[in-house]
Amino acid sequence: MKICRNSSNLAKVILFLIAFIILVAVLAAISDVVKLVIISALLAYVLDPLASFLESRGMSRTSATASIFLFFCALAGISSIVVLPVLYGEIKAIQSGFILEKTSLMVSSFDDFLVSNFAFLGIRDLHLLSRIQNAMAGVGDWVFNHFLDAASIITGMVLIPVIVFFFMKDGRKFKRIFVSIIPNRYFEFTLYLIHKMNIQIGNYLRGQMLEATIVGILSILALWLIGVKYFFIIGVVAGLANLIPYLGPVTGATIAIIVSILQTGGGDKVLYIIVAFILIRLIDDVLVLPLALAKSVHIHPLMVLFSLLIGGKLFGILGMLLSVPVAGFIKVVVHESIINYRRYGDRPA
Amino acid sequence: MNKLWENIFKFRQKETDEIDNVLLKIPVFQGLKSRELRTIKRILYQREYKKDEVIFNQGDAGLGMYIIVKGTVEIVCGPERHMLAELSEGDFFGELALLDDSPRSATAFSKTPCKILCFFKPELLDIINRNPKLGSKILFKLAWTISERLKITNAQVSELSNLRHRDRLDSQ
Repeated sequence: MKICRNSSNLAKVILFLIAFIILVAVLAAISDVVKLVIISALLAYVLDPLASFLESRGMSRTSATASIFLFFCALAGISSIVVLPVLYGEIKAIQSGFILEKTSLMVSSFDDFLVSNFAFLGIRDLHLLSRIQNAMAGVGDWVFNHFLDAASIITGMVLIPVIVFFFMKDGRKFKRIFVSIIPNRYFEFTLYLIHKMNIQIGNYLRGQMLEATIVGILSILALWLIGVKYFFIIGVVAGLANLIPYLGPVTGATIAIIVSILQTGGGDKVLYIIVAFILIRLIDDVLVLPLALAKSVHIHPLMVLFSLLIGGKLFGILGMLLSVPVAGFIKVVVHESIINYRRYGDRPA
Repeated sequence: MNKLWENIFKFRQKETDEIDNVLLKIPVFQGLKSRELRTIKRILYQREYKKDEVIFNQGDAGLGMYIIVKGTVEIVCGPERHMLAELSEGDFFGELALLDDSPRSATAFSKTPCKILCFFKPELLDIINRNPKLGSKILFKLAWTISERLKITNAQVSELSNLRHRDRLDSQ
């Protein structure tokens, strides 16, 4: 009897694994669609409290969602008129590989210095200047191809808002449909997990979004005041990079410093940039973090680092952005399952 | 064809009436307007249990209350499964889980095939956010229900202590 039960359990595990592999393969095959759905779901999730707030003011769910949708459409419209041309121009300029004469001289003299003093290390004909120009053009191309090509703009601008709208409007229905297919035995536990995840990951994501927006705006302002070229795109990158723990805050400052050195051919503005980013960090820690309640998902820093590395390796920048919430999700599921299993694992159901 | 639609409609109407009647018997939902009751019905989960199926186990993480629409549920406690109560249509159990995070204090299982409505904490919190007026009504009724149960428990405790006191006097 026991052997029979064991073999049936094994069959279940094998079936589950096969189903999981098929699911992963299908998701990988339609990864572009999956990305769209994930981004839309996250946006809908972050905006959900806003819709609930409007509902508490007497609006129906549909009109609350429609109002938020219209507001963001208007905002996107204004941004596309004001911001997109600036962004487009800045990326085009980076793509063409801008470098000042003064900077060229500085890089060339550094190149000569290396070749003449470190020839014994085998350093010969470095062509630093052309390498830097190629690398910058590469970065410009990458940003252009990934974010600003016509196809992705149209797909993103049309599909994401539509998916977000329906996720926000019918999110509760989707949850009910999902819950209705859960067997009775796991029904309450599944809802318990969703509830726990909602508390931990929801607060984290909303906190991160708020923080990224404020850091982005502050970075744009600070770099504009200092007079760094391409202040807008660097500020946007600094805000977005802030979503990635540990690496984010340093990334924005590093890019700004490199650009300012290449722009001026010297380190005149480096100190200002460092001070500005330290101030932004302080404002973030003192003013923004207390607002972004319970930002932490209570994951060990080492686990955050590993999840960042794995996320980055598997799905690139999107993987790094999503790695911490996903790690939080896995932590909640594993933690709660282990607690329940330990308590009642050997009890007959 | 029309008769078929009429029958389907009647069946749905009958099911809705059945749920309405049960909900109106529950102190937590008594006195709600029909519009508020409709809102509540939209957030309830409806589940069907076979005979002898476990609804929740003692010690499980509890998330909310269960309302019996049809069938009988038995509440048992401990490894020996001492019976604490037998509940039927219109009864409810597990309401404390709406307020605290403590694990389930007993096991509930269906003694006969059951149709059960589930009202869970996340949905209650959502209602409080979206419709504070309705949320506060439910919370007030919930507090009232628990205070009523506390009064009954106090009466039982005092009755027991009186009995013990009388036994002691008799033995002296």
